[in-house]
Amino acid sequence: MKYILNRLIQVFIMTFLALTVVFFIVQSMPGDPAFGLAVSIAQTRNMSLEKALEIAHNIIGYNPKEPIILKYIKFLKNIFVGNFGYSTYFKTSVNEIIGKALPWTLFVISLATAFGFFAGTTLGALSAQKRGTFIDTFIATLFSIIQAIPAFVLAVFILFIGAVRLRLLPLGGAYPVEMTPGFYPGFILALIHHALGPLIATSIPQMASWGLAMRGNCSNIIEEDFVRFAKIRGLSDSVISQKYIRKNAILPLVASLAIGIGYMLGGHTLVEVIFNYPGIGYYFGQAISARDFGLLTGLFSLIVIGVVFATFITELLYAIIDPRVKAQ
Amino acid sequence: MKEFIRPILMNRKAFIGFILLSIFILMATIGPMIVPLNLSSNFAERYKPPSFQHPYGTDYFGIDIFQQMVHGARSVVGLSVLASFFAVIIGAIIGIARGYIGGFVSKFLDTIITIFLVIPSFPALLIMAAIFADRSLNMITVALIIAMWLWAPLAKQISAQVFSIKSREFIETSKMLNLGTFYILFKDIMPLLLPYIFINFITQLKGAMEFSVGLMFLGLAKFDPTHWGVMLNYALYQAGALYTPRGFHYPIIIMIHIVLLIYGGILFAQGIEEIFNPKLRRYE
Repeated sequence: MKYILNRLIQVFIMTFLALTVVFFIVQSMPGDPAFGLAVSIAQTRNMSLEKALEIAHNIIGYNPKEPIILKYIKFLKNIFVGNFGYSTYFKTSVNEIIGKALPWTLFVISLATAFGFFAGTTLGALSAQKRGTFIDTFIATLFSIIQAIPAFVLAVFILFIGAVRLRLLPLGGAYPVEMTPGFYPGFILALIHHALGPLIATSIPQMASWGLAMRGNCSNIIEEDFVRFAKIRGLSDSVISQKYIRKNAILPLVASLAIGIGYMLGGHTLVEVIFNYPGIGYYFGQAISARDFGLLTGLFSLIVIGVVFATFITELLYAIIDPRVKAQ
Repeated sequence: MKEFIRPILMNRKAFIGFILLSIFILMATIGPMIVPLNLSSNFAERYKPPSFQHPYGTDYFGIDIFQQMVHGARSVVGLSVLASFFAVIIGAIIGIARGYIGGFVSKFLDTIITIFLVIPSFPALLIMAAIFADRSLNMITVALIIAMWLWAPLAKQISAQVFSIKSREFIETSKMLNLGTFYILFKDIMPLLLPYIFINFITQLKGAMEFSVGLMFLGLAKFDPTHWGVMLNYALYQAGALYTPRGFHYPIIIMIHIVLLIYGGILFAQGIEEIFNPKLRRYE
């Protein structure tokens, strides 16, 4: 319990420091954060730009003359109460955008991770146990070629072949516009159909990296004495491979699952942009090209908080799985 | 030199990786001198399939794709090598300092490393690129920006290694002989770390490549119109290129080049790792 409390305090400090860096990075972007909004106000209401700028500053609660320290305190206070700011480009609060986008991203990431982890560890263990055979060479070569393909190149390839040439996949969106969301089979099928592209593009590289890690772990464990003893004791091959090798090899990987999901929050940007899939990464891309400071800071803070807590969960899992960590 | 080349020729992975990397390095260094670049548009020649005159065909403007690929190789390879180099230098210095000095400095450096580990690299990189996008960017500044988000894992691993080397007997001996920090760092610790740092330099190339191509693909930090990331962007979005059946070869060629270059780096790194660490060879 004391261990968890200690770690929680550390997590808190880490979040605070990381958010500080986020704030100062975004602050150093040139230009007035309300400028885009001011231009559109000036156009719709037919008024001078200075006046529109003033209104825009009021809307997003931004005061150009305010010293940076006060801005910083305000930013931290807002994040603390769960207010991620205001998006000048979409003209809504960032919370609303997060509420809309986060479910899609989590949906794709968790499914892709589940599939990638399952397929990767199974094939990786198989490869290690058939060391030296054709199966091993085939899996290992395939995985290392996949590792050389960046996720977004794979995404472009899938979009190009699947959506444009063969017309099997949709070109964007999370579901067809003409459908009303709800829990009926047609809609769920359409959801999966739209998520298929991002799903394949994220799960295949994941499968390769989990697979290679699993293959390495298994290869090390096969050499251990306890496996040799198990063989001498006359245990069947399937018992040895399931209970002695795979179980031991998979434990460290299970613990790092959480951290993988945390990082995926940010690493998913390009894939979502390419498939026009309306998740966190897609809005992040929009915020970058529109120079929407509020949305950028909000989404970036969310991603950082996600990663910090995923790291925390990973460490807790390690401590639960491996008692030696707790002892330290 | 002979001792360096021989193991590479003996190890299959290192050899294939070496050949692949050499082809791209030649393409980047002497390629632009041999192959002329003609960027003027010629609409009569647009979307020509690969032929003897245009080995990779032509793009939307009728510009030879092969010429663009060769000239783009310079900034693709140059940017990745530079970014990876900077990342390794920063990572090594901070890692060694953190592992060796101890006390308050170590704690401070540790916090910095953790912050950089916690902040996801790619989104941070996008924001950084957007910050500098309005100013004129060149290869070195972009490489530095990329390196800033690559060095942290390396620093952490190196500091752990230095930490374990530090307590070995021969370091104690050097300390007792009063050989000085400089001697211990460069004569005792460095030689043990160098192979590791070298392997990391090659592995980082993959990250640097992915980051730079991704950045250019999103239209940020475009300092070279023939960078493969910029070309991939054009190949997809320029004048509806995605939907023209005749433009099929254009994105495919670029993707094959990107993957082959990264694959060459991965193979070479794996091969070198096997050479330095014979324990790994058993698993082949």
